[in-house]
Order: sequence, then structure tokens, then C-alpha cells
Amino acid sequence: MADKETKTGGKAEANAAKGMPGWMADLPLVQLPLALDFCSPQTEDFTRVSRFFDELRKGNLMTTKCKACGALNWPPRVVCPECQSDALEWVELPKTGKLWAFTEVRLGAPLGMEKDAPFSIGIVELDDVGLRLLARIDTPYNKLGFDLPMELVVARMPGERVIYRFKAKG
Amino acid sequence: MRGPGIAGHFVDNHLPRGVDLNIIGGIDMRKVAVVGGGLSHWGIRKANWRELVQEAGKAVLDDTQNLDKKDIDSLFVGAASPDRWAFQCHVAPLVADMLGVYPNRMMARTELACASGQAAVRYAWLAIASGFSEVALCLGVEKMNNPNMLESQTTMAAVLDREWDGIHGASAPPFFAMCAQHHMKHYGTTRRQMSLVAEKNHRFSTTNPFAHFQKPVPAEKVEASPMVAPPLTLFDCSGITDGAAAVILVSEERAKKMTDTPVWIKGSGQCSGGNNSANWKSLDTWYPMQVAAREAFRTSGITVDDIDLAEVHDCFTISEIIEYEDLGLCKKGEGGKFIEDGQSDIGGKVAVNTRGGLLGCGHPLGATGIGQIIEIYQQMQAKVPKARQVPDPQIGLTHNLSGAANVHSILVFGRDA
Repeated sequence: MADKETKTGGKAEANAAKGMPGWMADLPLVQLPLALDFCSPQTEDFTRVSRFFDELRKGNLMTTKCKACGALNWPPRVVCPECQSDALEWVELPKTGKLWAFTEVRLGAPLGMEKDAPFSIGIVELDDVGLRLLARIDTPYNKLGFDLPMELVVARMPGERVIYRFKAKG
Repeated sequence: MRGPGIAGHFVDNHLPRGVDLNIIGGIDMRKVAVVGGGLSHWGIRKANWRELVQEAGKAVLDDTQNLDKKDIDSLFVGAASPDRWAFQCHVAPLVADMLGVYPNRMMARTELACASGQAAVRYAWLAIASGFSEVALCLGVEKMNNPNMLESQTTMAAVLDREWDGIHGASAPPFFAMCAQHHMKHYGTTRRQMSLVAEKNHRFSTTNPFAHFQKPVPAEKVEASPMVAPPLTLFDCSGITDGAAAVILVSEERAKKMTDTPVWIKGSGQCSGGNNSANWKSLDTWYPMQVAAREAFRTSGITVDDIDLAEVHDCFTISEIIEYEDLGLCKKGEGGKFIEDGQSDIGGKVAVNTRGGLLGCGHPLGATGIGQIIEIYQQMQAKVPKARQVPDPQIGLTHNLSGAANVHSILVFGRDA
């Protein structure tokens, strides 16, 4: 226990109180080296699509759309991969969809997620936009099924970062 | 996301673009032959990255007849992530040091994740076909077992689009698990049919002293092994393996001076469907593979019915089943029946993965593609143990997918150029 306290800088309880998943409490709040951290820096100092994360923090799922050719990009881009235009606009994506495929990670989870296992992963077909997103599914595997209605979850990551997930609706 | 959304007609979008891709037999392109091959032992090795390189390097140089090492003018090192697994980049000159070769035409590491080894051979092939190189050494290597396997698994998860897919905990097993889920749902593929792929490939690997896995694995054992990502169990998955493999490629002129039994590269196809998961048009039909197969057959001047043996990328049992279909060995949806009926065994329509495949040999990412080519080469020279010798094979094929089946790479080999 003493070791754990030292490792986490005594912030385990504080993290838990913020509703962070269990494994996060065991991570030092000092960031992992960039090359071992699945979650990249999300601020405007590091990425030109920081707005995606700013909006996600507010509960909105956004991406870029090309004003020139109309292509919906995923993930958000700074240049349209289809026509090379850099005239992109931010558009909101639906927060709901249906589960298209799913499984559960039981063995072999990567660093930082090993204590989460088993956890569900799936592909959610968003309503109406012809886009499928792979994401963690915050619903137990045995409760999942094809075409199950899903809704967006905003999950907090260490260092004030966020990521989208989905869970069974309702 | 690329293309016109989920229902995009992927194959149609990749029709040949008015350019004659018939490289072999095309203007000014030379024929290229494999004239030597050698392997390290594969497994959880008590040896480091460099030592694996030296073992495979010695093996290929010992195997290749009538080669003056000084004539090796090009070197390609297939390695997926030595930066992370061995904390070493700029590896091609390091390999040159260790093998005592002095390339003066082309040298580089080639990286295409699970297809890094085949990528090395594709570059060497074109370097020689173009007339720029005469003799090329291709060496594939990966050292994947390290004291902290969590770190090793993390490196593998970075093959995916790490910031948008890997961050969700996605890696190879959950992706291929969902492929299996869809194949079972759409085509009725059974648990047992997947197990039979593992059973066949482990039976072959018991004949291969270089393979990671040396014991038979009956279907029941596959089904009783721990679940990794449902429906895939441990024995549905290829191993995390250390190993190296190397081949020597030469021009036609050079080959005729060296050996009476060269194995020729006849043609190739390769196609990418992007990396991010939003590009997956289907989980159980791999459209990029259909394109790569069509181009491989066209550039080789063969049809699928000409193939006597195939080394396909069985990173998971379900992969081999989907590959039978998208290669065109059987109709879509009938891959499960194909293995069940013994059509992929010796004596069936085509012998698949006779060295033991990735399931039986393990999957050291950079070495796999070259290990497969060595099997074709040795089969055509009747150098493999009798238990897995295909009778008088004329045409062979190797296939690698990389990442979440994002890219498919195919090479076709023949006894005749």
C-alpha cells in the first residue's frame, strides 16, 4: 500500500473521487513518456485539431468536413485526404448509433489498460452519417448484441485529457 | 474516412489505371530469382536481436551456392519495430556490420508491420529487375519477447492508428475477433472449422525444426484454451515469437551461373485500404486482398487454379479462412467448408501453410514474410521433410496482411520464369 501511495503521489483516492477508472488511479500523474502513452497531447500547442477535444469535453462529438468536395473526414484532418483542400469546417456528429461488431479484451491489453481487462470493444455505426467508429464500450460484454442502440460517453484520461467511448443506450 | 462511405465500391475504385503493370516480361525489366534461404530457430529465444540476425545471416550464406559475399550490392532489412523491441533504429548498416557485407547500391530497413519481410523482398526484386542491383540480401528479424511483455503488447498495439483506435485498447486480437464474429454471423462459419486451421498448421509445424511450436494441437485443445477475445482463444492466435530469416535474390544472368534450380519471382500485387478503422468496409471480406490477388495473378500470367502451394498470413485461424475466399481458392463464405473438406491440405486443391504457418511457426513480424518465401523455395527444391513435401510444385504464392488487414501483399513464385 505504501508503495502504491508513493507511485501515485497519494492521488489514488482523489482520482477515484473524480470518477476515473481504476487503472488511472495507479498511474502516476506525471505523464508517461510520449512514446508509451496511447493518449497524445490534446491542446493547441500540440495539435491543430485541439477543437475536437475541447468540444468533446463539452459532450460534443465533432469532426471536419471538406467545404470544397463535401467529404466527411474521420478522424478530423487539417487537409482533406480526398481533394487536398485545406478549407475544412467543423461539423457535429450524432451521439447515437448502433453496435455493428463487438468483442471483449481479456488477455493482451496494452500498457495503461491492463488493469481494465476484461473490457468491451466494438464498432458503432453512427446514425445517419455513414460513419463507423471503433471505441471502448462501457457496457459489459454479456449485455451486448448486434444493432444494440448506443450512446456517446466522454471518458476522462490522465492529464486533463478526454476520449470518446460508447455505452448501451438508456 | 476515405471514399464514399460505408458502401464504397472498393474493388472497382482500384481498377488498373491504364498502365500495363505486367512487370515481369515487360520492357527492360529483368527476371529475378531466389537462390538461397536460411532461418534462425524461432521461439522464445535466449538470444538478442543481433544474435538472431547473425544466425539467419550465416544460414543463408551457408545455403547459397557459388556466391561471393563481396557481390552482395544491396541489403534490405525487414523489421517492424526494432526501435521499440531492441531500442535500435538505423538497423540496415548494423546488419551489414554483423554479416560482413558492403552494399553499394541500395540499403534500407523496410517497415510494413506484419509484412515488413515481404516488403524487403519486393524492394530487392524491383532493384534487381530494374538493373540497378545484381545481388541483394533480404533479412527479416524481430525480437518480440522481452522481460516486460506488457511493453511488447503495447508495441504491437501501435501498429493500428494508435491515437484514434489503439487508444481504445484495440490491437490485433480484438480486431480479428470481430472479423470472426461477422464471418460466423454472415456465413455460418463454425468454432470447429476455425480450430481445424490451427490443428492443420500445428501438424505441419511438428515437421519443422525451426518452428516455435513443436507439438500437435488437436481442435479440442484449441477450443479448451483460454479466451483472448471472444470468439478467439489462445490457440486461434499466432505466437509472440523471436526469429529471423533471410534470402538471396539475384538477376537471371547471375542465377544461371549459380544454380540449376532457382526459384523465380513471377509477379506481385499489393493493395491498401488505409489504416484507421473507419476505412473498414467489411470485416469478413477483405477487399484490398481481392485487388492484390487479382494484380498478383495478372502480373504473373497465372490463374488461381495454377497455384500448387500457398503460404498465407494465418495470424489468426479466421484469417486463413477469409484468405481462402478472398484469394479466390473457394467462393465467398465457403472458407470454413474448404478447411473442413481438407482442400487446404496436401492432396487437396492447394497446400496451404505447409511450414506450419504463423500459428505453428510463430510470428516474428519482420521475419514471417521471408520465412514463408523460404518454404516455397525449399518446397520447389524438394528440400523439406517428406511429411510436408508437396508433390512437384510448379507455382507457389506468399501472402501477408499487415495491421488490421489494412494492407495485403502477395508474391507469386515459379519453377519457371
